[in-house]
Amino acid sequence: MATFMDVNLVRYLCTCGKRLPPCRLYLCRHCLKLRCADCVQHEVDSPYCPNCLENMPASEAKLKKNRCSNCFDCPICGHTLMTRATSQMVPSSEDPSKSTPKKMYYMACSFCRWTTRDGGLADQSTSNGGWKDEENPEAKRINTLLESYRSIAQREKAEKERKKYVKRRSHAGFQDRYGLTSVAMKWKIQPAMSNLSVKETEKVPPAPELVSPVEDFDPLPSEIFSDIVQLDKVTYLSHRLNAPEFQPPATKDLRPVHKHLLVRRSLRCRECDHNLSKPDFNPLSIKFKIQLIALNHIPEIRIMAPATFSVNKETVVTFTLSNPSVYSTVVKLLPIEGDTDLDYMTAKVDLPKSDLVLALHDDTAVYDDGTKAQQEFKDDPRVVVFRRANKLGFAAKVTPFCKEGEVKVSFMMKHEFRNTAAAIQSEDKEPKLEWLEHRIFINLGRIQL
Amino acid sequence: MAAPNKSSVKIAPGAVVCDECELIGDITIGARTVIHPKARIIAEAGPVIIGEFNIIEELVHITNRFPDGAEGKKNSQVMVIGNNNVFEVGAQIESTKVGDHNVIESKAFVGPQVELTSGCIIGAACHVTTGEKLPENTVIYGAKCHRRIQRERPPAQNLQIDFLTKILPNYHYLKKVSKAQSPPK
Repeated sequence: MATFMDVNLVRYLCTCGKRLPPCRLYLCRHCLKLRCADCVQHEVDSPYCPNCLENMPASEAKLKKNRCSNCFDCPICGHTLMTRATSQMVPSSEDPSKSTPKKMYYMACSFCRWTTRDGGLADQSTSNGGWKDEENPEAKRINTLLESYRSIAQREKAEKERKKYVKRRSHAGFQDRYGLTSVAMKWKIQPAMSNLSVKETEKVPPAPELVSPVEDFDPLPSEIFSDIVQLDKVTYLSHRLNAPEFQPPATKDLRPVHKHLLVRRSLRCRECDHNLSKPDFNPLSIKFKIQLIALNHIPEIRIMAPATFSVNKETVVTFTLSNPSVYSTVVKLLPIEGDTDLDYMTAKVDLPKSDLVLALHDDTAVYDDGTKAQQEFKDDPRVVVFRRANKLGFAAKVTPFCKEGEVKVSFMMKHEFRNTAAAIQSEDKEPKLEWLEHRIFINLGRIQL
Repeated sequence: MAAPNKSSVKIAPGAVVCDECELIGDITIGARTVIHPKARIIAEAGPVIIGEFNIIEELVHITNRFPDGAEGKKNSQVMVIGNNNVFEVGAQIESTKVGDHNVIESKAFVGPQVELTSGCIIGAACHVTTGEKLPENTVIYGAKCHRRIQRERPPAQNLQIDFLTKILPNYHYLKKVSKAQSPPK
C-alpha cells in the first residue's frame, strides 16, 4: 500500500507518547503494542558504503574510520564525486617526438561542478584509484603520544592484576581447601609475575616531551585591513571541519573527502526483546527478513476528500478505512470522553455507532473482473459511503468548536487482530483473536473564516 | 497596430535548426549551432543574435522581452548570445548579453538584468535575477543559489554537436538555411 512521505495528517499514538503516521510505526507481535523508531533499540547489522554498496565487517570499518576507501565526496557541497575521462596527448614511450592520446581521469562533482583540478590535483591514469590521501601533518606526534600512553596503560593494567593476586595469596586457607585450583592459581600467578619482573628491570619508557606553550607570536599584519577580501578563495567553516586534520583556509587546498559509511540496522522491541525489523544482510536488497510495520497489520484510516469547515457548523467528512491483513476485521470507532485538550482536539466528531466490518486483503482481487460474487455486507448507506475489496468509506460529522486554527479530531479505534506469531508457537491452527485499541489523531485542515 | 512583422530568420550554413521550433522576430543563428525542436526564440523588443557552436535544447525560451515601461518600441534592445553555450532543457533566458562557454542548466531562469560573461554555469532550477555582470567562471548552484568560482571554464561540447548534427536530420525536418547575403556596399 502506498503512503505519502510528508503527509502526516492521520497519526496514531505510540506507546512512548508520540503521534506518528502508521508508516513510521511498528507493531510488536508479542506485546501487541505500537512502537516507533525512537522507542526501540537499534542494533548495527553491518556498515556499508551508500555509493558502491560495499559491505564491510564492523571491525574493518573501525580501522578505516567508517569511511569508504573508493568513493569520495565533494568537499564543497558533499555530493558524490564522479570519475570523468579526458584524452590527453602524451609523448609515447617509443617515439618521444610523436604524441599518442592517453586517457586521464579526474573527479568532478555533478552538482557544484568542483573538480580535482580545482584542488590542484593532477589527473590520474587509472580510473578507479590512485587518489592518494595526504598524511596528517601531526601524525608523528600523535603516534608517539599513543605509543607512550599505550605502554603506560599496559603497566597499569599489569599492576592491577598483580595486586589482585597478591591479595588472594594472603588468604592461607584458600589454597588448601581447593587442591586443584591452587595449582591453577600458581600457573596463573607465575606468568604474570614473570612479566612484571621483566618490566621492573626495564627502565620506564620515557614520557613524551611536552609541547611548550606558545607565548609570543607576530602581531596582526596591517594588510589584513587593506587587502580586498576574495570570498570565493576562502573556505566555509563547514568545508574546513570536513577535513579536521588540515582545515584548509583556501579553496584551492580542498581535497576530496572519503565517503562516510551508513549502517544497516535492525530494530528490537525494548520490552519483549523480539526483533521488529530485520533487513536483508546484502545492502543491495531491499527485502526484509522480519518486517513488522504497523501499516501491514493495522487498519489504516485516510481522509478521502478535503472539506471546508466553519465554527459550530456540522460538516460531513468521508474517511477510508482499509484492512491490510489476510483476515477480515471488525472495527469499532469510539469517541474520547472528557478530554478537552485543545492541542489535540479542536472539533467534536460524530462517529458511526455501529461496527464496521472490513473484508480481508486479497492480492488476487487485482486480477478479478468483478464477476466473482462478493461477500454480502449489510451496510447502512448513511454511514458507509462505499465498499470495495478491503476498503471502506465511512462518513462522520465534524463540528469545530474553535473559531480559528486547524481542525483536529481524536478518537479511539478498536479492531480485531489475529496474531499470527503466537499461532506458530502454539499447537492450534487458528490464530488467536485479540482486540487492539489505538488512539488516532486527525488534522483535517484550517477553518475557513 | 501594424501588421505582425514577418519573421526574418537568418540561419547560417552548418546550423541545424529543427522545423518544430518557434522562431519569432528578427533572429540570426550562427554556424554549427543546434536548435532542438520545441525551443522558442522570441525577438519581441529587438533582434536576437545567436553565435556559433551553441546547443539550444527543448523547451528553452529565449525571449528578448520589452523592458518594463517601454512597451511598443521595436528594435529597442539587441540580445546577443555568444559561442559555445549550452542551454539545457526548460531554461528561460531573458538576459540581453550572454557570453561564451556558458552552461545554463535545466529549468534555470536568467532575468533581463543579468549579464553572463564567459564560463558561467547557472545550476538547475536556479533563478538569477539580480542586476549584475557575473564574473567569469562563476558557478551558481543549489536551492539558495550558492556561488563559487571555478578554475577553468566548462568543457566544450563539440562531440555532442557533431553527434546531433548527424542524428537530428534523421528524425526531424530542418529549417532551410538562408542564402548568403551579398556584402553591403
